[in-house]
Amino acid sequence: MMAAMAEDDVRLEVEAVQAVYGDDSQIICDFPPHLTVHIKPRTADDSSQQFVETTIGIKASTKYPEEPPHIYITYMKGMDDGRQAHLITSIRKRAEELSSFPMLVALCEEAVDLLTNMNHPEGDCPLCLYPLLSDDRSGASLPFMKLMSCYHCFHCECMIRFWMWTQDKNETKEMNQTLETAPALVEVQRDDTSPAQVFQGSTNQQKGNCPVCRKVFDAKDIEHVLEYLAANSYVMNPVEAVIDEEDKAVLFSESQNNRRKKFDSILKLQQEKKGLIEPRKDLIIMPGMFLPESVEPATTSAEEDKIEECRDPARNHGLHLNGDLSMKATASKPNNSNRRRKGSFKGNINTESSRKQWVVKPINTSKQ
Amino acid sequence: MRILLHPPPRDRGSMIYAGSSERFALIISLSFALNSALFQRSMISSTAPSRKALSKIACGRLQKELVEWQVNPPSGFKHKVTDNLQSWIIEVVGAAGTLYANETYQLQVDFPEHYPMEAPQVIFLPAAPLHPHIYSNGHICLDILYDSWSPAMTVSSICVSIVSMLSSSTRKQRPADNDRYVRKCKNGRSPKETRWWFHDDKV
Repeated sequence: MMAAMAEDDVRLEVEAVQAVYGDDSQIICDFPPHLTVHIKPRTADDSSQQFVETTIGIKASTKYPEEPPHIYITYMKGMDDGRQAHLITSIRKRAEELSSFPMLVALCEEAVDLLTNMNHPEGDCPLCLYPLLSDDRSGASLPFMKLMSCYHCFHCECMIRFWMWTQDKNETKEMNQTLETAPALVEVQRDDTSPAQVFQGSTNQQKGNCPVCRKVFDAKDIEHVLEYLAANSYVMNPVEAVIDEEDKAVLFSESQNNRRKKFDSILKLQQEKKGLIEPRKDLIIMPGMFLPESVEPATTSAEEDKIEECRDPARNHGLHLNGDLSMKATASKPNNSNRRRKGSFKGNINTESSRKQWVVKPINTSKQ
Repeated sequence: MRILLHPPPRDRGSMIYAGSSERFALIISLSFALNSALFQRSMISSTAPSRKALSKIACGRLQKELVEWQVNPPSGFKHKVTDNLQSWIIEVVGAAGTLYANETYQLQVDFPEHYPMEAPQVIFLPAAPLHPHIYSNGHICLDILYDSWSPAMTVSSICVSIVSMLSSSTRKQRPADNDRYVRKCKNGRSPKETRWWFHDDKV
């Protein structure tokens, strides 16, 4: 009697799984329950945002739920060995924790949670070998895409390059074949072909092979990337809206928001510590205007430097002059250099002496 | 997986098969008749070896591969350091427990302008190992180097394929058509110009 009741409970549980997962679940055996469930991450049914998926099998014995069922993976896409191992051990651990409770739906939900957490492409682009996502997942990584047939991911640019290359190769091959049969005809056709038509031709060829696993993919698999390419180099396709949306998605993504917050807080901190030199918008600087040192220390020091520079040539000339003089009249040397030094230290106050030097110089050179 | 290919028998060569002199003459007369620059361009892309400098993309990719190699080289292989990114010399030591154990050979890997879209040219420098799929001029009959090349492959993955090809050999001998093939390649033809045919996948 008890056993029959328990069996009914288990059957109800299997029905519950069917109710929740519908066509994604397959019942191999009602009792003891043996079923497979196709698991996808939560992406609000947006398949373009889905980078992993798997099918797990759950096989229970007659002692279920006292004895946790056996859990295995029958199929998966987009996961390397590490992530696959993590998935399976995590679900098995959960099964241990839940033993003696009905757990079929809970295990499937656990799998969905785990997949949602690992729903991002991993590693490098197989074509250029640079990371698909930058390490901190915040910044300067290129846009990437995935093939729907195998979930292998590539940078958009790299995939386009590969696609164009294979199309080009096929075209050359075809051309060589036709050349063997009817060369003249082909030449005429080639002359008429505009780039747009070539592009059309390439989309019509429909098939490609994944560079990683050679799985055949349809041209429609990379349609969005081709559109992106069309907008960039062949123009005149109404795909700007798509790109705008993509841009928006990037601009308002979490990583970008975090970045903005970070920079805003740094800016505030700098403002608080008066570490910012900002131009005063209400102030118009006129020639000869007095600027207090505290406002713009950088400019005043620069001005001082300028004054120094102006003086420097005079000083050098003075020294040169003194040297010349010392050759001829040693007695006048100390007197003259003394006067020059006074001029340089007291600046504009001693204008007479510096003016004298400027006057003296041409006379001296004319003498030489 | 198809692993090995051999050049087709003589009668199966096509027009682009520029090995025998009479066929080559045929191509020249045809191209004069057509007088088509396009035709010539297609000839170049399909048959002429690429001696052009690496593209920017190829450079970036090779630098990345070299760094990866330095961190994690395939076992049994040693990259001889040169300043030439476009041509690598790689030392191979036969795996222990195989016919080629402790024997050292040298591979030369030349990269075309559009690597990795185009396959690199991989040959053994003399003396090439005695193997049913390695010709005495160093050309290797391995499909991933030609028809089955994919840009997702790397120098490292090529090396692994080559060492596995060596390791699975049961007898040290040249391919049956060695002399004929080597004679054809006397003019310095690249193995990439050979039209390789599926031969057998046992070794």
